[in-house]
Amino acid sequence: MKLLVHQDSSPLLSVRVAFPAGSAMDPPGSEGAAWLAGQMLAHGGTRRRSYKQILDFLFPRGASVDVSVDKEMTCFHFECHAAHAAEMTELLAEMLCDPGWREEDFRRLREDAVHSLEADLRGENDEELGREALYGLLFEGHPYGHPCQGRVSSLRRMELSAVREFYTAEYGRNRVIVACGGAQAEGAAARLRERLSTLPARTRSDGSVPAAPALRRSRMVFVEKPSQGTALSLGFPIEVSRGHEDYPALLVAVSALGQHRMSSGRLFQSLRQHRGLNYGDYAYIEYFPAPMFTLEPEPNHARQRQIFELWVRPVAPEHAHFALRLALYELEKLAATGLEDEEFEAARSFLLRHQILLEEARSAQLGHEIDGLFYGTGLQSQYLRQTLPELTPSDVKRSVARHLQPDEIAVAFAGPGMEALRQAILDNAPSRIQYSSAKPDWLLREDEIVSVRSVPVEEQETRVVPVEEMFE
Amino acid sequence: MAERNAFPFDYELFDFSNGLRLVAVPLPWRGTASVYIVVHAGSRNEVEPGRSGFAHFFEHMMFRGTRAFPPERYERELQRMGASSNAYTDDDRTVYHTTLAVEELDALLAMEADRFQHLEYSEEDFRTEALAVLGEYWKDSAEPLNRLHEVLRDTAFDVHPYKHTTMGFLRDIERMPGMHGYSLAFFDRFYRPENTTILIAGDVAPAQARALAERHWGGWRRGSYRLEAPEEPPQQAPREARIEWETHTLPYVAVAQRAPAYDDSDPDCAALDLISALCFSAGSDLYRRLVIEEQWADELWANQVDHLDPYLFTVVARVKQPERLADVRRAIEDELDRLAGSPPPQERLEQVQSHLFYRFVLSLNRSDSVAAQLAPFLALRRTPETVRRLFETYQRVTPQNLAAAAAAWFRREGRTVVTLEERPQ
Repeated sequence: MKLLVHQDSSPLLSVRVAFPAGSAMDPPGSEGAAWLAGQMLAHGGTRRRSYKQILDFLFPRGASVDVSVDKEMTCFHFECHAAHAAEMTELLAEMLCDPGWREEDFRRLREDAVHSLEADLRGENDEELGREALYGLLFEGHPYGHPCQGRVSSLRRMELSAVREFYTAEYGRNRVIVACGGAQAEGAAARLRERLSTLPARTRSDGSVPAAPALRRSRMVFVEKPSQGTALSLGFPIEVSRGHEDYPALLVAVSALGQHRMSSGRLFQSLRQHRGLNYGDYAYIEYFPAPMFTLEPEPNHARQRQIFELWVRPVAPEHAHFALRLALYELEKLAATGLEDEEFEAARSFLLRHQILLEEARSAQLGHEIDGLFYGTGLQSQYLRQTLPELTPSDVKRSVARHLQPDEIAVAFAGPGMEALRQAILDNAPSRIQYSSAKPDWLLREDEIVSVRSVPVEEQETRVVPVEEMFE
Repeated sequence: MAERNAFPFDYELFDFSNGLRLVAVPLPWRGTASVYIVVHAGSRNEVEPGRSGFAHFFEHMMFRGTRAFPPERYERELQRMGASSNAYTDDDRTVYHTTLAVEELDALLAMEADRFQHLEYSEEDFRTEALAVLGEYWKDSAEPLNRLHEVLRDTAFDVHPYKHTTMGFLRDIERMPGMHGYSLAFFDRFYRPENTTILIAGDVAPAQARALAERHWGGWRRGSYRLEAPEEPPQQAPREARIEWETHTLPYVAVAQRAPAYDDSDPDCAALDLISALCFSAGSDLYRRLVIEEQWADELWANQVDHLDPYLFTVVARVKQPERLADVRRAIEDELDRLAGSPPPQERLEQVQSHLFYRFVLSLNRSDSVAAQLAPFLALRRTPETVRRLFETYQRVTPQNLAAAAAAWFRREGRTVVTLEERPQ
C-alpha cells in the first residue's frame, strides 16, 4: 500500500484510491468483470447499507463517490466538505472493504454496462465508436482487446459470482494507492490505511501486460451506421510511454501536430482552419479518456501499452477518404522534416506551462501523482520540467523518425456508405474536394498531391462491420 | 444552515465609462488566473428569421484574427503561454475563457482587447468557418439528446428565440456561408463594452486587474443597438411531439413546463430549483422507484436552467425497456401533478437546501472552476452578489412555497412532452 497525503487548510477533502485492477485482468469469457466490480463497489450497496441508503446519505452532503475503470487501474474518488470528511471516508472504506453484493444492484449495473455498449457507444457517440473500433483492431487477442465495460455477450452471461471472484483476486492491499489531500487528509489516510489492511495481502495479477500485437499489415475496419458524418480514428502501437527516453520528444512532436482541443496543431490548421473539413483534429501518444467531453485528461487511466492515435472528428461522408489521406500526409510531413524551431519552442513552452494548470485542483493533482507512481516518473509537471528544457528540435526529429513512421497503420471509420468507401480506398480512387470559397494556390497544389495519394491496404485486411455487431 | 455563504470569496466591481464592467475576484490558488469574457449575446439575440445559430457561429469567427494578431499569431501566443482557452455560446451569453499563469495576464488581455475591437476576416475565411460549424452539427447529431432538446424547444416555443438551440436549425446552418454581411452587423451590434462583462478570477489583486482592464479595454467604443426579444405568449394547451430515431437507442422522454425568468429573489424561481433536486435527482423518491427498484429507467434528472426570459423546467428520463416508456412518462407527470397538493416535510426541504449548497461549494475547487460557475450568473445579473442572493432565497423557501410554485407552473396546459424512440424495423 502506498499513501500520498497533503493536508492543508482547504475547506474540502479530496480522496482517491487506485487499485491496479482493470479490464486487462478480466478472465477470458468474463470480459466486464473488472468494470462491474468497480461499479458494484461505487454504485451498489455495502453490507450495512443499501444503495438507496447511500444515496440518501450523500444527497444532503452534495457529494458522490465516483469510479473509473480502465485497462489496468480502477480508481475510486470523492470530494467533500470538511464538515463531512470523517463520515465520507468511512463510507468509502465500507464500499471498498465490505461490499453488499446484492443481486438487484448487480442486475441494474450489468444492464447499464450492456447499454453503455449497445446504446451509448454503438448508438450515440460515433467518435468514441471509431476510437474503440481502432483499439479493437490494434489489440485483437490482447488483454486490451475489449472495451473496459466488457463485451455485450460476456456481460449478458456474467454472474455475480464472477464479479465477486474478480474482486477477491484483484483488490489486494499490496499494490493499492491511497491519496488524500486538503482538509483532514491525514485522518482520512490513516483511516483508509487501517480499513484497507483487511483486504487480501496479494493480488492474483502481478501487473504485467504483454506487448501490443505486432501490426504486420495495415488494417481497416468500416463500421456501417446511418449518420450525418463519418468519424475517423487511426493509429499504431508505440513502445514509448512515460519514462522512455523518447517520450518527451514525442510529446512535443504530437503537441505541435495536434494538441488536444487546441487550434494551434498542424492537423487542426490543415483540416479545419484552412479547409473547413470538420470540427477538429488531434494527435496523442497516451490514451485520453472521452476526449469529446473534456478539455483536460482525467487522470488514472495509466497504461503500460500505448498507441499513437490521430482523432479526426466527423467529416462529410464524401470527404472521409480525403480526410484520411490528408491526415496521413500531415503525419508524413512531420516525419520528413520535423518541427521548425519556432513550432518546437511554442509546443515545448505549452507543455511546460500547461501541465501546472492540469494539476491545480487538489483531486486532479492527487490523480496525477498516482499516475506518476504508476509510470515511475513522478508528478507529470515535474517530470516535464526535468526533461523538456534539455530537448532540441533534432531530438524531436529523430524520435519522430524512430516511432511515428510506421510501415503499417490501422484505421477505423464509423458512418454511412462504408462499402463504397472501402472500395474507393482499395481502388485508390481520387478524392478531390470542391470548395465553396476561393482557396490559395498552395492549398490547391497540396490537394492535388493529397487527393490521389495511395493508402496501401490489402483487401483481406479490410472489413465492413454493421454497427450491431461491434463489441458483441 | 443559517449563516452559510455559497460564494465565500471577496470580489470588486468596476464600471468603466464606456459601459464595460469588470468583476475582480482574488482567489487563494497561487500563480494562476482565469479570464472569462462574458458577451451578453447568445441565441436569444437571434431574433430575425433565418439567423438561428448565428451567435454560436460568430463565436467561431472571433478566432479568425485581426491585423495585429492574425489567427496563427494568436494561437501561437496562447500556445507559448501554456493557456487553457476556449469559448462557448449559450442562450443568453457567449463566453470566451482562458486560464493561464498570472504573469501572462497582461499579454492575454491585450490580445483579447484587440480582437474584441479590431476583428477582421475575409469572406473566404467566413465561408470556410461556416463549414466547421456544419462539422460541429454532424458531430453532435449522433446524440439523441441533442435532437430531443431541439424538438422540445421547437415544440414548446412559438415566437421567442429560445425556440431554437444554440447550434441553430440545420437549414439555417447550411445557409451561413452566405451571411458575411450580416456577421459584420452582428459584431457591430453586440460586441460592445456595455454588452460585455469581464471576469478576472485568480491570484490577482483587484486594483491590478482594474489597471490592466483600463489600459486595454478603456478605449473600446460604446454601441447603440437595443435588442427587443419577442415575448412568448402563454401556452394554452398541452403539446406533444414524437421523434423516430434511425439507429439503436433506448427511448427518452422529456416533460417540460414553462418556467419563470431568472430572478434571484423570487421564491418561485428558487422553488423550481429545489423541486428539481427534491423530485427528480438521484436523491429523490422517483429516482429510487424508477432507477433502483423497478429499474425501468437508467437516467432521470430535471433542470431549471436560469434564463433572462421565461424558459422551461425540464424533466428527462432514459428508459431501459421500450414498453415502459408510457409508464415512466406517467410517473413523471404524476410527480409534477402531485406536488401542488402535498408540500414536502420541512426536514426533507432542509436536505435539499443542504444538497444545493454543498454541491455548489464543492464545485469551487480551483480558479477556473470558480470562474466557470460565476460566468452564467454574470450573464444574468453582472454581479456575483446574485449567487448569494439566490442561495439566501433557497433558505427562505418553505414547503408551502414549493407547493405554490408547483401549482403555478406545473399546469397541464403549460406542459410539453417529447418522446424519442428507435424507428421500428
